[in-house]
Amino acid sequence: MTGAPPRPTPRWRSSLRWRLLAATLAALAVALTLAGLMLASLFREHVMSQFENALRRQLDQLTAQLEFDASGQPQIDTQTLTDPRWQRPFGGLYWQIDRLAPAADGIRPAVLRSRSLWDTTLQMPDDAVADGVVHVHEGHGPRSVPVLMLERSLSVAEQPGTRWRLVVASETQEAHEAVARFNSVLAASLGLLGALLAIAALAQVSMGLAPLRALQTALKRVREGQDTRLHGNFAAEIQPLIDDFNGVLDRNAEIVARARTQAGNLAHALKTPLTVLSQAAGQPGNEASAPLARLVQEQTNTVRRQVDWHLARARAAGAQRLPGLRTPLAPTVAGLVRVMQRVHADRDLSIDMAGIPPTLSFAGEEQDLQEMLGNLLDNACKWARHTVRIQAQKHAPMPGTNGPGLQLEVVDDGPGIAPDVRQAVLARGARLDESMAGSGLGLAIVDELAQLYGGRLALETAPGGGLLARLTLPAAA
Amino acid sequence: MRLLLVEDEPTLRAQVGAALTDAGYAVDSADNGRDAHHLGHTETYDAVVLDLGLPVLDGLTVLRRWRDEGGTMPVLILTARDNWHEKVAGIDAGADDYLTKPFHMEELLARVRALIRRAHGQASPVLQCGALALDTRSGRVTVDGVAVTLTGHEYRVLDYLMHRPGQVISRTELTEHIYAQDHDRDSNTIEVFVARLRRKLPADCIETVRGMGYRLTTDSPLQPSMT
Repeated sequence: MTGAPPRPTPRWRSSLRWRLLAATLAALAVALTLAGLMLASLFREHVMSQFENALRRQLDQLTAQLEFDASGQPQIDTQTLTDPRWQRPFGGLYWQIDRLAPAADGIRPAVLRSRSLWDTTLQMPDDAVADGVVHVHEGHGPRSVPVLMLERSLSVAEQPGTRWRLVVASETQEAHEAVARFNSVLAASLGLLGALLAIAALAQVSMGLAPLRALQTALKRVREGQDTRLHGNFAAEIQPLIDDFNGVLDRNAEIVARARTQAGNLAHALKTPLTVLSQAAGQPGNEASAPLARLVQEQTNTVRRQVDWHLARARAAGAQRLPGLRTPLAPTVAGLVRVMQRVHADRDLSIDMAGIPPTLSFAGEEQDLQEMLGNLLDNACKWARHTVRIQAQKHAPMPGTNGPGLQLEVVDDGPGIAPDVRQAVLARGARLDESMAGSGLGLAIVDELAQLYGGRLALETAPGGGLLARLTLPAAA
Repeated sequence: MRLLLVEDEPTLRAQVGAALTDAGYAVDSADNGRDAHHLGHTETYDAVVLDLGLPVLDGLTVLRRWRDEGGTMPVLILTARDNWHEKVAGIDAGADDYLTKPFHMEELLARVRALIRRAHGQASPVLQCGALALDTRSGRVTVDGVAVTLTGHEYRVLDYLMHRPGQVISRTELTEHIYAQDHDRDSNTIEVFVARLRRKLPADCIETVRGMGYRLTTDSPLQPSMT
């Protein structure tokens, strides 16, 4: 069954921290924008109503000052209109009196107007409004400046059939400027508030998620093999998770330890009787029993190899890729070199382990490393003429893993292994030279173990003609 | 040469014991760790074959105790647990070699011979002393290439002396190393064996150091004029 390849999750969705932060910031932005819009609209409404009220008072004053002379022409005593803007041409405050009726004459605009209008006329929409009602329009005044206009029409008793329209207008620019000023101050204040709240949200998320970061660090230590379980104090909400996880780690370690012990016990239980059987078959007997003895000898050899192979595999499989494993190279190599120097004492070999950096560690079980290196070193010591050299170095990460790798080389100055039989040596149970002691599993087990760790064993020819066994393994950071 | 064999499986103990005796060693055996420790501590052995999986007291502990108490005899450990972890632990506990079960008897014998030889600084499996040669692998003794036939006890006395050329060996020491523990010992019989050896070998080969014991001479190579 194949599905579509999983799409990469965006960063904000994959991280708890970014999710929380994104949600908080989005809510903040919406709330602040709404508040800003509402405040701006309230202020604008307030300013405009103030503006309109002031204009209405001007209209009332104008209405109160309206008189008519003997010929029925309207008169305004301009002395009584105190606002200086009325007098200054295009001063921003205007009034104008239109005659609307009698209809036969048509509308005669600007029968009388403020000095500030100079010779321009306020263009009013031709809407019929009832007498005494104040009507508000937005329009354009002299020089096309936007203005707010209030109009009121009235009739006077002395002039039946005649209707007059009184108009006051004021330029709205200042009011709009005030609103704009307020809006910019408001935007700046809300922006600052938003920034402070965002910082607070960031701090809150960081503090809130601190235990998770501690957990992340603890897990990293386990992954890198610096710890075998999660250490530290965690928040009450995640402590149960930590306890469970530590439980799983402990159980894993316990299972591996038990598997090893059982493999060891099984080895002991099987191999001693095998030894007895093989010794008994090796006793000189009469001619009639010789074929039987040979058969027993052959079969015990086969059983022994099977047992060795499967025990080695059982041991290896138990430990593969448990997290938190870290085995320093140098002490392990030193222990094995002590064994080699003792066991191969009469070969008078020089074993050089100067090429092991003291800081390098293997990300795996100590026993597995011993198994691999022990077999390689033992093999090298069996065949070397004078020198066995072991060296290690950091290596690029192995394919399929993201951790660092390490490369171990065991080099001897013996006869080496011909390229065409190297593959056969790695096959289980192969022994090129039956005269040498050993079960013939050594190199095959090393290869198998290395592969369980995602590494490999390569056999090459050393510069001096001996065997160079190169082991690639995961390194502990 | 006197060996201690420690193995709890009776059949295997009998087989190995028989093979070692056939190879000319005096063999004591123990079937548990406590007895093994006691024997190794109180008796003198030229080598020990020690199984690790033992009842009462495990082999590694026995070995550590011997070493702590100053025991220096070479020890070959037998182990069924064929892993390097255990080999490292064994060597670090003071073992000189290891052999994993199942093993071939010839290999065990070869390892024991090598251990004894190494303990006395002898590199070659053929011990040489003037015209006298003793091949530890085959048990063949020759003088100038001519084979000499020796009895078991004569061989053990010569073998012991040839591993320590030039050293004065007391009669008591010889007695301790050519007889197993349960054997009826009589140090006077040593004189008999030495006398017989002197008849079969060149005459001044084994020197008597008055009041102290015997010494295999190394400084006066045997001359053909002896004949």
